Amino acid sequence: MLYLQVLLNGLVLGGLFACIAAGFSLVWGVLNVINILHGSFIVLGAYAAWYAYGILGIHPFLSIILVAPLFFALGYAIQSLLLNRVIAAPVLLTLTLTFGLDLMLSNAMLAAFKADFRKLVLDPPLGLLSVGNIVLPVDRLAAMALALLLTLLLYLVLSRSRTGRAIVAVRMDREAASLMGVNVSRTYAITFGIGALMAGVAGPLIAMIFPISPLTGPVYLGKAFVVCVLGGLGSVPGAMVGGLVLGVVESFAALWFGPEHAITVSFALLIAMLVFRPTGLIGRKGYE
Amino acid sequence: MSIIRSSLAAVALAFALPATAQDVIRIGAPLPITGPLSPEAIKQQRGYDLWAETANKAGGVRVGNRRMRVEIVYVDYQSNTPRAVQAAERLITQDKVNFLFSPFGSGAAKAASTVSEKYQVPTIAATASSAQVYDQGYKFLFGTFTPNDTLTEPLADIVKSKAPGVQRVAVLARNDLFPLAIAQEMEKSAKARGMRVVYSEKYAIGTLDHASALTQIKAQAPHWIFATGYTNDLVLMRKQMADLKIEAPLVTMVAAPAYQEFIDSAGKGAENITSAAWWHPAVRYKGTDIFGTTEAYVQAFKAKYKADPDYAEASASAAGAVLQMAIEQAGTIDRQKVRDTLANLNVTTFWGVVKFGPTGQITSLEPPVFQIQGSKPVVIHPPQVKQGELRLGVQ
Amino acid sequence: MLTPDTAARRDTVIAVVVFALIALVPFVADTYWLRLGTTVLMYAVLALSWNFIGGMAGYPSFATAAFFGLGAYAGGVAQKFGVGMWLAWGLAGLLALLFAAALGLALLRMRGHYFAIASLVVAEVLREIINSATDLTGGGMGLNLPLRAGQSVEAQADFFFWTMLGLAALAMAATLAVQHGRLGFGLRCIQQNESAADMLGVNTTATKTSAFALSAVFTGIAGAVYASWVNYIEPPDVFDVLYSVKPIVMVLLGGAGSVFGPLIGAGVFLGLEEIVWRRFLEVHSGVLGLLIVLLVLFLPSGLAGIARRRAKASTP
Repeated sequence: MLYLQVLLNGLVLGGLFACIAAGFSLVWGVLNVINILHGSFIVLGAYAAWYAYGILGIHPFLSIILVAPLFFALGYAIQSLLLNRVIAAPVLLTLTLTFGLDLMLSNAMLAAFKADFRKLVLDPPLGLLSVGNIVLPVDRLAAMALALLLTLLLYLVLSRSRTGRAIVAVRMDREAASLMGVNVSRTYAITFGIGALMAGVAGPLIAMIFPISPLTGPVYLGKAFVVCVLGGLGSVPGAMVGGLVLGVVESFAALWFGPEHAITVSFALLIAMLVFRPTGLIGRKGYE
Repeated sequence: MSIIRSSLAAVALAFALPATAQDVIRIGAPLPITGPLSPEAIKQQRGYDLWAETANKAGGVRVGNRRMRVEIVYVDYQSNTPRAVQAAERLITQDKVNFLFSPFGSGAAKAASTVSEKYQVPTIAATASSAQVYDQGYKFLFGTFTPNDTLTEPLADIVKSKAPGVQRVAVLARNDLFPLAIAQEMEKSAKARGMRVVYSEKYAIGTLDHASALTQIKAQAPHWIFATGYTNDLVLMRKQMADLKIEAPLVTMVAAPAYQEFIDSAGKGAENITSAAWWHPAVRYKGTDIFGTTEAYVQAFKAKYKADPDYAEASASAAGAVLQMAIEQAGTIDRQKVRDTLANLNVTTFWGVVKFGPTGQITSLEPPVFQIQGSKPVVIHPPQVKQGELRLGVQ
Repeated sequence: MLTPDTAARRDTVIAVVVFALIALVPFVADTYWLRLGTTVLMYAVLALSWNFIGGMAGYPSFATAAFFGLGAYAGGVAQKFGVGMWLAWGLAGLLALLFAAALGLALLRMRGHYFAIASLVVAEVLREIINSATDLTGGGMGLNLPLRAGQSVEAQADFFFWTMLGLAALAMAATLAVQHGRLGFGLRCIQQNESAADMLGVNTTATKTSAFALSAVFTGIAGAVYASWVNYIEPPDVFDVLYSVKPIVMVLLGGAGSVFGPLIGAGVFLGLEEIVWRRFLEVHSGVLGLLIVLLVLFLPSGLAGIARRRAKASTP
């Protein structure tokens, strides 16, 4: 029974992880850019949901719809105005650039929102779901369901729409895609916009469950890293698998090794994956 | 060589603050004004500023037969401990402060105390409770918090006498200096009274999910859950306890329940949570310090900040008030003499009886134990200031 | 055109003169400025160290914080068990070197982003391991190092300044030796095209591992000296990711690939940081971020790049 509860806890958490990482993985896979801003985007989205709920009474589920276009525009702008200048530069420069941008955003949020933790408390609360000895909070379940839904939507967009196919083409072979008439720069900007969008919509989901503060950005970024490596870069199904696996691994690691080691175990897993299977658990097939 | 000297001096002057006036006592206060600990810095600043204002309004501190204003010099160390040490040194060597208030928390206080000891500047730590902070044999460091076991021992006593059926204890601590140290003390206090610690773990800083730990705790069916961390950790933990339907006769959390922010964020979940702190607005002391009685202090605080003071804010004011008493008793601002006076001080203040032990840490406080009842903290110990009785049962 | 030998000799002369001048600073500066200077020298060591693996070999390593923290705790724990300070520092460097060599076996097979991430994560894992070994390291409660008895404040400030200077000089000497020697040649080949270098007969594994080990040994000693200098360390301080990031920014600022770039970058960066700390209370990390962004967008070859362009412009 204990194991079942731990497993379910892990899966619920994992669904959230998948949503957190999907956009990040896409940007990394397609643009070969590690977007350090990703964690801060999530936090910004969470604050948007918190203010929307507190001041305007808009439920976080609805905030998702409001937040999406705003973050897409933000991401598109950042890529086309700033990142595109160094897109051909060595990995180190792009990484340092997004790091610098993140410092600016993070500081701006600290100055605007202060470091105190906020908690979005739903009124009335969504309650608990009890089946026998197993207890699951409904708000987490709802967040997980939405997270997986959004990730699925992303996958459908990538595999069905024209823009989506262009993105995948650029991922597979930039030169060939260009020869086929794909506007690579615009595709890059759209992809980054989508990455920002996914981070932004993860925000309200996060806000329902965890306390919000500009300081938590790096924590979400760290999760995104591990999920990416587990699932394979640029692959949305990979992000789903990676997210669920990470959630379960962290849950059981906390059980078997103690809560202070849970994060360490996930990082050790990351290193092991990088050494032995860098293409991820589901390998290259994932991003078709 | 002289060109280098004078140009360096010119550069230094460009950065340095104006030279100290004859009638001002300057006290350095390095605080984490930015960064994760900034909410704590705000509390400290409120406490220090209230004291400085009150002292100056009364004409200043009496030094021999003249009066001197106090000025607090703040420096931001960005919640970064090495910077706290640097800030302390800058305050002493560049800003030429006479005395120092420690940076926030046991870790930074300990780190910065090496600097104040090197320069022999009397330093008062308003938020350092762990005995490890004071174990270097330093002579110039003083602290207004009693050691952690003075919080856990009375609490364990009350539990033992009012709830003798409590046998199984679960402990979950944040892996950080103060939260870990006090959790270790709690385990000792519990074991000393024959209770059994059925779960004892620490969680990493930045943990966002306590579900696994709490699931394990639930499986142990403890009578008493003891959790430590900062406000956000404990709010999250309390919510997840409710999510997993964990119930216990007793839940103690340190130190968040003393803050209004915790009660606001946890809502109904805060009901019947117990805690202990070094001070509470409900205690009643008749002090000979600048504030006088505890009620007078609370009123002065309310008048300026429109809220009740919590123990962190009061401790900062106490640090100032105690320093003032030592200066006035010594009749001078000579550092060695003030230091010696502090070491031999034995006075009553709004904060409580103040007497420092041989390590510099205060030994004379009787920290109150309280419980949140009806969304308000109610003191249940010591008997002289008790406002209510211990209630069992946390859902 | 300078031949390689003349270039080596010129660089060595410049280095000796610069370091000799810096050694005179304790005679004119007070303890606060000495503290700042010691910090600049420490970051110079970190930047010079990173340059071996990041600048010369082209492998973007974020492991600097891991080596620094490891060295700090190695030095601290050794002294806790009664080992003398100098010996403890040496042990710290040795441990860092061995650790890097072993780590390199696993990590140096990766390239680009993967290598960067893995090296970043190593610091996190190390930090948590040290955090949990509470009995040995004090865990979250930190580790105390004994104060140096019988030395005045000024004498201690001088001592640590000259010690960091000496360490920086060693790192500089190693940089010069490698840059103008066969190892440097091998590293430059690897940076340009690793497979080609392999085919040309360069032992890429040994070369890369040497660079990685060099990037660790001075950093580890710097960590141990730091611990003795501040007398109290805790895991979040010495494994702070900024110890990995700032040296990189410094090298970029000074100009990657140039011998004196790391040194110049460290000085300019920390000078800017000090000014910002005093003036912009609330937004200092934002200003730092802005500097980094401007640096990457407009000055990717660093200050040395400006100098080189000026030199080119003035030649007919």
